[in-house]
Amino acid sequence: MNPVSLIATASEFPARVVPNEFFGGERGVPRGGMFRGARLRHHMATEESAVDLIARATRTLETRTAGRMDHGVDILLTNVSMPDLPFTGCGAAVAKELGWSPQWVYDLHSHGCVSFIAMMEVARALIATTSARSALICNVQTAAGRIFAHPAVRDMAQSAVPGDGCGVALLVEGDERPVESITVRCHAENASDMQITSDDGRAWWEPGTDPFHIDFSRSKVAAVVRRANRIVPEVVHEACGQAGIKTSEIGTFITNQPNQIFLRNWREAIQVDEARHIHTFEEHGNLFGAAMPVCLERAELEGQIEENSLVVLGGFSHAGDYSAAAVVRWGAVA
Amino acid sequence: MYNPTAAVQDIPDLLRIESFSRDQMADLCMETTHAVYSHDKMYGPYCTIQEYIDCPPEKVFEYLADPRSLEEWTWSTRDLEPTDEPGLMMGWDRLADDTKLYCRTVSNPIARTVDYHCAWDQGDDLWMIYLMRIVPAQLVLGKRGSVVIWSNCHHPYYDNNPYPELAPPEREIWVGDLWPFFYAGHVVEMDNLKKILEQRHARREMIRPWTRPEPAAVGLGRFAALEKQ
Repeated sequence: MNPVSLIATASEFPARVVPNEFFGGERGVPRGGMFRGARLRHHMATEESAVDLIARATRTLETRTAGRMDHGVDILLTNVSMPDLPFTGCGAAVAKELGWSPQWVYDLHSHGCVSFIAMMEVARALIATTSARSALICNVQTAAGRIFAHPAVRDMAQSAVPGDGCGVALLVEGDERPVESITVRCHAENASDMQITSDDGRAWWEPGTDPFHIDFSRSKVAAVVRRANRIVPEVVHEACGQAGIKTSEIGTFITNQPNQIFLRNWREAIQVDEARHIHTFEEHGNLFGAAMPVCLERAELEGQIEENSLVVLGGFSHAGDYSAAAVVRWGAVA
Repeated sequence: MYNPTAAVQDIPDLLRIESFSRDQMADLCMETTHAVYSHDKMYGPYCTIQEYIDCPPEKVFEYLADPRSLEEWTWSTRDLEPTDEPGLMMGWDRLADDTKLYCRTVSNPIARTVDYHCAWDQGDDLWMIYLMRIVPAQLVLGKRGSVVIWSNCHHPYYDNNPYPELAPPEREIWVGDLWPFFYAGHVVEMDNLKKILEQRHARREMIRPWTRPEPAAVGLGRFAALEKQ
């Protein structure tokens, strides 16, 4: 398989920054546990779209990649948590906005918080088996403003945790900054454990006035904690094993960022120092799939990734339906 | 009527549902639950292991309550003999050279507990205590057999030999030097215990074969002697 390199990342956020006071409803600002520790987060406004965020982030990415995207890309992949529109996905609208005509355009709606890694895998497979040479992968989290800002939802403990944002990345054929391994696992037995629910009990497409929230009952929380504590370290070890590296060689560790507890538990399990585990949870909340490209960008802009060191990505999605990890050797790029 | 909440209200920092809500408890549980724990955290101050054994609790108790069993299932306790003091046995811990091991077995058939009060080198201060409890597996696992729970506590003497003058002069090791390996060593011994008891029970053999009458004392013994002639 020809090597694929992760060249650069960029991010974009909705304009609105929401402090904890916004959530001071009946049950108050999150205190601890699953819902502890976010200070700020962004919320999508009604007039903002995932397409806009991707287009703006991509413009930034173009300036960072020295002409590599002058003719667009061959592959365009997106994952948006709450899509701008049902049915269509946003890939075509993004291409239109950028004035590109990629040959492969796919909107992935699976893999949630690890969809960045899943899209890396898809891009790598396409680059390996077709004439495609470059891929733009785009993650947008939109659920914070679109679900959790609602006046009837925002006083729930879970509502302060999600934050909206967008991360994009360019992958190209070549070994400048090679993806050494990718492992994506589907845990089908956990597939139906995350549900959305509304007080009137209607299906999400049925008309009604009660807003939706995510159904995390106390009994499910314990099961999800147990799962996430197990499957994320497992898949990280697997990806490291596949890349032929020890976890002690990890230079930079980036995971999805559901809450402070999981961040702590995963770095303890992998035995990575806190300083090498890059996250933006306090500032951005749970960015779902966008966390990995956003944190990669943060780590690189702050000069935290040493040249030729190993960057390891890992995480799980939803209530544990997927887990994924990847190893990238952070070579210098022109 | 006795009011337990009122009775404990002067005791600070209790977490009880009257003043510590379900949400608070859920948060605390999240904070406390890690993906991994260090060996020292798990087995530093105490070392407890447990195992399922497919052998009835009465038989497990009968076996463990007889200190002679230690010569079979432990890795290194051998040649136990009674001393002048009733109930106190003396044997040898073969994990170190010339090391005497004293042991008094304190058992309770109703609670099904067997505690070995032991010490190296002397039998007056038995500070090294192995606490065993046998639980009917039917009650706790819904199947026949036994669950054996085995605990040791990190007595300060493990860190400093209280009677260095009684140690054999050439001996370089102290039992407490091995405290970090207690988990590993006790797992080996628990595994021995499980294999011995499960095999004897499955084959309907005597659980304590050393209590079988000596062949010479019965008729069979004489025949055996005749055959040899």
